[in-house]
Amino acid sequence: MATTISGHSRPGAPPPRGPTTRSFGWLRELVGARELTGNLVRRDLTVRHRGTFLGMLWSLTTPLLIVGLYYFVFKLLFKASPATDAVRPDGNDVPFAVYFFAGLTLWNLFSSSVLTSATSVTSSGYLLNKVYFPRAILPLSTVLSSLVTFGFEVCVLLVVTVAVVGPPSLQLLWAPVIVAVVVGLAFGLALLVSAINVFLRDMAHFLAVLVQLWFWGTPIIYSLGFVAEREDLLTLLRLNPLTGVVVSFRNVMVLDRSPDFKLLAYDAACALVALAVGAAVFGRSQKTFSEIV
Amino acid sequence: MADIAITCSQVWKSYRIYHQRSHTLKEKVLSRRNMYEDFWALKGVDLEVPAGSTMGIIGANGSGKSTLLKTMARILTPNKGWVQVDGTVSPLLELGTGFHPELTGRENVTLAGSLLGHTRRDMKRKYDSIVEFAGIENFMDIPVKNYSTGMYTRLAFAVAISVDPEILLIDEVLSVGDESFQMRCHQRIGELRSEGRTIVLVSHSLETIKALCKRAVWIEGGAVRQVGPSHDVVAGYLGLVHKRVTEARAPESLPANRYGTGEAEITGVRFLDGDGDEPPDFCTGRFLTVRVSYRAAQPIEDATCGIAVFRADSHAYVFGQSTQGARIKLTLSESGTIDMTVPTLPLLKGQYLVTISLERAQVKEVFDLHDREYTFVVIDNPALPTGDGMFHVPTTWTISSSPVPA
Repeated sequence: MATTISGHSRPGAPPPRGPTTRSFGWLRELVGARELTGNLVRRDLTVRHRGTFLGMLWSLTTPLLIVGLYYFVFKLLFKASPATDAVRPDGNDVPFAVYFFAGLTLWNLFSSSVLTSATSVTSSGYLLNKVYFPRAILPLSTVLSSLVTFGFEVCVLLVVTVAVVGPPSLQLLWAPVIVAVVVGLAFGLALLVSAINVFLRDMAHFLAVLVQLWFWGTPIIYSLGFVAEREDLLTLLRLNPLTGVVVSFRNVMVLDRSPDFKLLAYDAACALVALAVGAAVFGRSQKTFSEIV
Repeated sequence: MADIAITCSQVWKSYRIYHQRSHTLKEKVLSRRNMYEDFWALKGVDLEVPAGSTMGIIGANGSGKSTLLKTMARILTPNKGWVQVDGTVSPLLELGTGFHPELTGRENVTLAGSLLGHTRRDMKRKYDSIVEFAGIENFMDIPVKNYSTGMYTRLAFAVAISVDPEILLIDEVLSVGDESFQMRCHQRIGELRSEGRTIVLVSHSLETIKALCKRAVWIEGGAVRQVGPSHDVVAGYLGLVHKRVTEARAPESLPANRYGTGEAEITGVRFLDGDGDEPPDFCTGRFLTVRVSYRAAQPIEDATCGIAVFRADSHAYVFGQSTQGARIKLTLSESGTIDMTVPTLPLLKGQYLVTISLERAQVKEVFDLHDREYTFVVIDNPALPTGDGMFHVPTTWTISSSPVPA
């Protein structure tokens, strides 16, 4: 295995060979470094929960508390349900809390991936300076850590759904596809923001605000039907690449309906664009990370 | 594997030195232009490291040694030129790379191992020997933040020397730790070397370079100044360093390495051979006299003159003697000389530094002390058997053969 580390080669110099000269060779390296990625994910999860009494349970407690809070606000204070389609085809009502929790799990996967990955490179300066590894492992491992936490949340969601609403349907088989689209979208954005944050530390702060807005701009706590009469809002919501996945995930997980294929296809296309842009930006800038961070 | 493990071809590397680095949007907008200048740390380095060889990199601080090593480790990318590395690489640029304070010793071993390019299975296999070397079996399941510095260093070190890549890049990490660490480390490098691994070593210890590396490269101002057998390169480097130091000292101000009450003053030191001449160098096994000239404000009855000799490369203390130690009563008159004669010089080739002191006997009162101010050079004596180290020790060898036991 020969590896070439090159700047712009001078005229007359023999052409450098090796994986790094191919523009996306580093993506292949990423696959080769599975074990390091796994170890970093394990580190993230261990460090996050070490020293806390509840440990892993915290990653469930927070979403459950949020569900409780919004349930209180909407069902008890406003006495209105923003979830207009919270009913199964067989006529079974889906409680608002379950309806909301289904969308929230997917949202948490996305938002925590993007938020924590923003600082994933900048907070690892001590590693960048001392050892080489495919730099994209850093955002990747934060996305994967979020995926693990998401897994726990989904287990709870399934248990609650079965207990409160009814048995899951075959529609559930679509869930992995939907999650894959979200992970693609999240990883694409993670590559982008983690690279930008190296040069512009405002990125992390900006994201914190953006993610708040994005939450309300995604039909998580309400249904698309809730804004049906506002055509302009509806168009805006449809442009949000998270709308399709959230609606579809809720459909297959608790509502026993098929995904919204049109929106899902649009989201998948957005995910591909995000991956391409993220990979291009990250790939171009990663050489200088160790000098700047 | 190819014959050449690492090739550097016209490697240029610059750092931006920011006068005021803007990290935030506001600063970027307000300052418009980042104020920076380029600092070229490497200026067209050409170097080949043959596979299976050990190569030392020496040079002054800031000469670009570590930058060169980091381009080999892929941590830095050259601005111009290229580096080609053929084989798996483990960089040892610091101890405890990738250690996380919240993780236990056990977890950190796995994590650090995978950062250095090892699989989980590798690390499992090595785990026992790592723990054994670190000697902290009972502490492997507590977070390393609760370790003492010594425990942390031992574990980090154990992980570092457990690596066995095809190419090992080492930057100064060998110089930490106590003697037994250093010995273990040198031993491990010896093992790796005999297994045919390629090793590139940056060190300020020229003795280490000479002991561990067949070849060395001397980097100065970001360019290769000399490549060759490590003894030659080290000698060349030392020659220049010494010349610079003496030149820098030339102006007649009181140097920092002189002190004393001034009641008596060392006025000159000469190194003489058997004919009373001052030769350019001395030969192992021959005659050497150190002649100290002094003057004193008024005669001093209870004085002693001390002479200490150090290696110039490592500053190792070779020997020290004094008139007091020799039970000679020294009385300083207003001026005079003191000779210390070594009839058969036991020192092996190299450069030596000499400290001279005039003190009051019995009590610690220094009249004048010149710390490592004087130097002489010893060369090989062709009439004597060759040897390594500091001293020529006369030996006899007896060879006998015996039948191999059945």
